[in-house]
Amino acid sequence: MKHRTIGLLSSALALALATSTFLTAPAHAAQRGGTLVFARVADNIFLDPAHTAQNADIWISLNLYDTLLIATADGKATEPGLATDTKVAPDGKTLTFTMRPNIKFADGSPILVSDVKWSLDRARGKDTGDEFAFLLASIDSIDTQGADTVTLHMKHADPTILQALATFNAGIMSEKLVMAAPGANLAEKSKAFAEHPIGSGPFVLTSWKRNAELVMSRNPYYWKIAPDGKPLPYLDAVKFVNIPDDATRVLKLKAGEVDAVEFVPYSRAAELKADPKLNMVLFPAAQINYFAMNTRPTLKDGSKNPLNDVRVRQALNYATDKEAIIQVVSYGTGTPQQSFMPMSTPLAVGNGPLYPYDITKAKKLLADAGYPKGFEVTCMVLAGSADDTAKVASLQQMWADVGVTLKAEQLESATRLARYAASDYQMRTGLWTNDINDPNEITSVIAYYPTRQSARTGWQSKRVDELFEMSQEELDPAKRAAEYAEIQKIYAEAAPIIFTMEVPYPVAMLKKVKDFQQIPLGNNIFLNTYLDK
Amino acid sequence: MNILAILARRLLHIAATVVLVALLIFVLMHFLPGDPVMMLLGDRASDEQIANMRHRLGFDRSVVEQFWEFLKMTASLQFGESVSMKVPVISLIVDRLPITLMLTSMAVVLAVLIAAPLAFIAALRQGGIADAIIRVISQVSLSMPVFYIGLILLITLAAGLRWFPVGGIGENFFQNLYYLFLPALTLALSLSAILLRNLREALIEVLQADYVSFATAKGLMRHTVLGRHVLRNAWISTITLLGLHVGSLVGGAVITETVFAIPGVGRLMIDSIFARDYAVVQGLTMILAVMVSIVFLAVDALQALLDPRVSA
Amino acid sequence: MSAVQEVAPREAAIAMAPGKRAPLKLGSSTLVGAVILLLFIACAAFPDAIAPYAPNKFDYRATLRPPSWAHPFGTDNFGRDVLSRTIWAARIDLQIAVFCTLFPAIFGTFVGCLIGYTGGAIDSVFRRIVDVVITIPFLVLVIAIVAVLGPGLTNMYIAVSAVNWIVYARLIRGEIIAQKRRDYAAAGQVMGYSASRILFRHLLPNALSPIVVYWMTDMALAILLGSSLGYLGLGAQPPTSEWGVLIGDAKNFMTTAWWMSIFPGIAIVIAGTGFSLLGDGLARLVRRR
Repeated sequence: MKHRTIGLLSSALALALATSTFLTAPAHAAQRGGTLVFARVADNIFLDPAHTAQNADIWISLNLYDTLLIATADGKATEPGLATDTKVAPDGKTLTFTMRPNIKFADGSPILVSDVKWSLDRARGKDTGDEFAFLLASIDSIDTQGADTVTLHMKHADPTILQALATFNAGIMSEKLVMAAPGANLAEKSKAFAEHPIGSGPFVLTSWKRNAELVMSRNPYYWKIAPDGKPLPYLDAVKFVNIPDDATRVLKLKAGEVDAVEFVPYSRAAELKADPKLNMVLFPAAQINYFAMNTRPTLKDGSKNPLNDVRVRQALNYATDKEAIIQVVSYGTGTPQQSFMPMSTPLAVGNGPLYPYDITKAKKLLADAGYPKGFEVTCMVLAGSADDTAKVASLQQMWADVGVTLKAEQLESATRLARYAASDYQMRTGLWTNDINDPNEITSVIAYYPTRQSARTGWQSKRVDELFEMSQEELDPAKRAAEYAEIQKIYAEAAPIIFTMEVPYPVAMLKKVKDFQQIPLGNNIFLNTYLDK
Repeated sequence: MNILAILARRLLHIAATVVLVALLIFVLMHFLPGDPVMMLLGDRASDEQIANMRHRLGFDRSVVEQFWEFLKMTASLQFGESVSMKVPVISLIVDRLPITLMLTSMAVVLAVLIAAPLAFIAALRQGGIADAIIRVISQVSLSMPVFYIGLILLITLAAGLRWFPVGGIGENFFQNLYYLFLPALTLALSLSAILLRNLREALIEVLQADYVSFATAKGLMRHTVLGRHVLRNAWISTITLLGLHVGSLVGGAVITETVFAIPGVGRLMIDSIFARDYAVVQGLTMILAVMVSIVFLAVDALQALLDPRVSA
Repeated sequence: MSAVQEVAPREAAIAMAPGKRAPLKLGSSTLVGAVILLLFIACAAFPDAIAPYAPNKFDYRATLRPPSWAHPFGTDNFGRDVLSRTIWAARIDLQIAVFCTLFPAIFGTFVGCLIGYTGGAIDSVFRRIVDVVITIPFLVLVIAIVAVLGPGLTNMYIAVSAVNWIVYARLIRGEIIAQKRRDYAAAGQVMGYSASRILFRHLLPNALSPIVVYWMTDMALAILLGSSLGYLGLGAQPPTSEWGVLIGDAKNFMTTAWWMSIFPGIAIVIAGTGFSLLGDGLARLVRRR
């Protein structure tokens, strides 16, 4: 049988990338030891890769649970993780993985091929898996050969399976340890295990006070070797402290009480950048800010909805000055949206900002649609959110120029979500972050009608639905790219959203913190992080 | 009536109150228009996932059934499981309550330490400059919202002068004394202003009362008089006032814990209300109601102890 | 009922604390209080005449400017004039002071009268309600209700009113019971006056003065509560100018743009002081009678 070796190709690329980082890295070598104190907005909820769904969990999961493959830094390919070699059959229906020799869980017990099969079966199972089980849904069965080979038999060719195996959901757990946890059935055992998980990642949880602090310490058995010849990671431990308040979090960093903080308010990025003791980094993110529109002909209260008319939606897009919003909300750190998907998503097509600010076009389109004097539209806003307020306040001013009166409706989070779920809204502020390095997740939610009426906008294009279904089994990268290009084009023209901006992840660190990384998907990577003493 | 009977009656009374509190909070939480399941699953959830989770959490059962379930759980001190944090509510409370108790106790001690000496000075120098200054300061701290006092202390003493840590808590009891000092001071300031006013008036009243003049006339030293009569009266009114303000102290703790990022029950309460975490809010409110009732009981007992004229 | 619970309600002690016994001048302090309030009322009534700028006017070229002649209180992160916002906020905060207390004062007085005069079963039920309400911290209860209804000023008024009337009812109930024991009530009964005449002509006017005094204090408390809720994001909603909201908006700029938070804070303190001074003056007046 002839095999296409993807693993080799991507690992060569990874090696090239890695080498270039080493070449440009500072002359002095990484230092070992120390505890990094990292201040976060929200605490973890459930540290079980198969049941992980919240950003706080997703973003640190890979530190605790390693995967067969690891996404490359740019997110467009994968490199070897627990598996050293990946072979994909030409029809895409069989994948064979060769496991790395002598790999161990954080308690020193060996990682067996049976653990791999068990973990993946559990993550994709209808009853044992969870919200992200769909990532592995194309796997039909898994079997193992000998001590180091795992074979995946696919229901159909799946272009995203390699990336799916590199996401948190496919983290490898120890069957023995989970089954040893107290509980009458797998669900109870999983829950008990997730309180004190022992995984395969570079770190292992050592203490956890809910909504206060979480400590993960170095896994002494981790397989990856640092340039100094000793195993990674460098840090003895990472201590996450939970500080929801933006101002307090930044104050703690400035006082040197914590080493790093996530979600620095954009308004303070410039100030912190100028601070000689700090290193303010804007990590590129697969994250978009937009305004979603309800495109149904009538609203929940039965009134006529002008946003049903595509010309109105296009007009509002033209009437939106994206650069101004980028200045007001992200203090210049954002970039205008070029597609409905973030530009770091594989297969995203960008031909410059969509709907450049053009008031004349907007006025003409509105007049054509029968609203020469404008109309009134209501937008749901997250109560107390400075960002939402600023976004809507800017829109109010811009749209007033074309006669459209925008009213803000302040709702707190739970009510807002409930109204959204019931499609009981006219406009809402939207935020999306990719969880997988593939366009299919965001497309299935935002553009593909059957999932959830295109993110509850009610917009549907039969052609988009058809293209999406085809792309889900399309192995030919060129054809798949073409399908996605067409989806993006149709979506951009129909404009069910106000295309706004992409924003980065703002992280500020003390200067001594080196080589921390947040990938576009949001995952915090502490593998290579060290403290410069 | 003997003491035991009185105590038993009071305890029964507390129990009845707590059940009513439970009902009130339960009714309130179930009027909430939002849905905890939506909060948990967020934007991405499909309708099927939502329905599944609602079923798993028992939200699709009748309200009566849910209340009955809640009462059963409460009676066994279980309070169920936090929807948003997936741990038993009781373990959250056990984790958090000591921090809030420490914070509020420190605040009470600080408030008394600030108020008592100032009240004495003001009362003895009634109408003087010291009195005027003290009264202006107490007026200002009374008119400041707790969150604002907290922010100012945080910016000046913690972030600016670095005398104190910027929020959070320490690793052990002694570190916490240090970490919780500023938050406790924040809480203590407005409370001390109330105590100060009250104490000053009480002292003035007592100083002018006949028995003090009489005692002084009898030739007792002034400080003996102050010590014997005045202090005891001052204590009684202070304790009464503290009892009255235990509710606003807890309310203040909610805000202080938010400002100073302290993982106590106050912040847990706010977080849980926003996350629609019924179980946590219910459990916490019950615990707080019981504690407030106990404080009331303790205040009554102390009053009876200090002042033989007051009897239960 | 316990001694603690019999004592006047929440914070009433502040208002009830007697002023100096010394010969009574209604006093310069009361006058100061009145002047302060008049100033704020003027701001609330004619903000557009007093404030130099529109409160919500963005100016991207003049963000985070320190105080200057053009902007005496500086500008915020959107270039809005902090002085103008602080002045406009007076309107909202005085509105909060009135709307959080007016209904409770009227309704509570009415209910308290009835309960105090009638006594019996209604009184027991009322005392049970009081027991429940005072065991839940006021702020927690209000936050929970606001969470039910959704954040915003109107819902805040509803939430506060739903709880606060009980305070007034308790206060007036105690007063009525005390007054009832006095001679003239008995005399009225002997003379065959109707219950409502005794209650509203004789008992209520005498019981009313402590209510008025407490009302002043309560308005100061309402401003504190309203700004706290605004700060937590549950009260007035941005971009509305409200002192608590202004401070909340300024949180991220406390170290870099102190003027954003200091001036609204001072406004809260001064307004609170105004109400308190006036309340104290009234209290002295009442006591003297």
